[in-house]
Amino acid sequence: MKWQVYRSRWVPTIMLVIGLLFLWEFLSWLLLTLDVPLAQSKVPYIHELVITFTQYSGTLFSEGSVTLANASLGFLLGAVGGIVLAILMSLTKWLEQLAFPYAVASQMIPILGLAPIVYGIFRDEQLARILIAAYTTFFPVTLNMLRGLRSAEPSSLELMYSYAAKKWTIYTRLRFPQALPSLFTGLKIAAPLAVTGAILVELMGATKGLGVLMLRNLYYGPSHNYMFWLTVLFAAFLGIVSYFIVTVIERIVTPWQPEFRKSGGDK
Amino acid sequence: MTITKIDSPEIMMSQVSMCYKTNSTEVLALKEVTVNIQKGEFVSLLGPSGCGKTTLLRIMADLLQPTSGEITISGGTAKEARLARKYGIVFQSPVLYDWRKVKKNITLPLEMIGLQKEEREERAERLLELIGLSKFKDQYPWQLSGGMQQRVAIARALAIEPEILLMDEPFSALDEFSRERLNEELLSIWSKVGSTVVFVTHSIPEAVFLSDRVFVLSPHPGRLSKVVNIPLPRPRREEMRNSPEFYQLISDIRQSFEGV
Repeated sequence: MKWQVYRSRWVPTIMLVIGLLFLWEFLSWLLLTLDVPLAQSKVPYIHELVITFTQYSGTLFSEGSVTLANASLGFLLGAVGGIVLAILMSLTKWLEQLAFPYAVASQMIPILGLAPIVYGIFRDEQLARILIAAYTTFFPVTLNMLRGLRSAEPSSLELMYSYAAKKWTIYTRLRFPQALPSLFTGLKIAAPLAVTGAILVELMGATKGLGVLMLRNLYYGPSHNYMFWLTVLFAAFLGIVSYFIVTVIERIVTPWQPEFRKSGGDK
Repeated sequence: MTITKIDSPEIMMSQVSMCYKTNSTEVLALKEVTVNIQKGEFVSLLGPSGCGKTTLLRIMADLLQPTSGEITISGGTAKEARLARKYGIVFQSPVLYDWRKVKKNITLPLEMIGLQKEEREERAERLLELIGLSKFKDQYPWQLSGGMQQRVAIARALAIEPEILLMDEPFSALDEFSRERLNEELLSIWSKVGSTVVFVTHSIPEAVFLSDRVFVLSPHPGRLSKVVNIPLPRPRREEMRNSPEFYQLISDIRQSFEGV
């Protein structure tokens, strides 16, 4: 029974993926036979990518882990900063009114412009990467955390009031747990952004990381085309992995959320 | 250590009025309501919507401040009673915290009063037995039916062993069958804990079945129109719902609404 359920769910997905891969291969072949200039830069053969991957997977993983490590550090920094800022803003209205416009404005600065500035100030590629990753992380986290902290229902608050609960107790017993689903929404948006942010700084000039690999292979032109494609795909993969990790943590921390409930809810 | 006169009521409200102000209009929700509720008594506040019965309960709970009038709860103000955690409250909806399992929801108020973990557990176990949900203690609230959730809410209100239990239409969202069963259960729990109960409802049979006295309120503006004694013997059983006395009391109360 269970196997059939799994099969009925997986078979269409697998078929779709295989179909798309074939379509891609066909398109690649078509462009080559039609003599389209730079055909392989546009739609590279998948089997060539696989071959290149088996040859250079070590490089990809070692450079990727450098990027991921910096992105993770920045992500943690940005998340903690975002959470703290959200708590402060929820505690004092004037701080929200003071800080919120700046938080919004900060998001209007293009990272592409900010990255060289940060790099120029600190002259340290590692620190710059961490800071940019933190910078891209903090805003979605702040916004969602603040909304989560405000989402406690009036009746839930009245219950606390009836217990003569202190402000801090209301936070620990009600507002924080209530805010967790929202916080995770923010973290899920922020995690891939942190990876992108870290790569972007690497493009500005670094010695290690996926961004460096990407840039180098772009410069070398068509001969390194497959490797360039692989780094792009690998960067996307890292973004997905970071999202997935946050999702797993969310499931462990908040198993009570409606979306994780196994059976409907009516019983 | 306070010395209370034997016959001084647990809850005294005199000439309490409540006026809601919106931008342009003023709504008089309660007009000069005076009630006295004795210790250990089970009273209902009964009336149609808009009669201010919930407002009256919320004033007792110190969730609202009356516009005028005085209120005394076991010798002090409503605020003092709240700060001293003299009452437990049950709302219309269960208001259970989603992230806490059933037992942890019941121990929530006990964490507030700083009880030791063992004592908290022990009380929760006892209450779970009282409401007949011991089997469900490690479930999340959403895994329970509406009636079970409301029973958990009652257990949570009773956890701090309050002198007063305030209940705001706790069974109004349930079907007739669950409601009647829970009425009987509530009485059996009450006979064990013996606290003063103020029960808000818009159901005449429910008020009659549960109460020692029914305070009948009428709307526009909300005011106390009648106090009906319910001399039915206790313990009250399901069969009583079919007795002529029960029907007589219901029709008496219904008639008092026809004038308004």
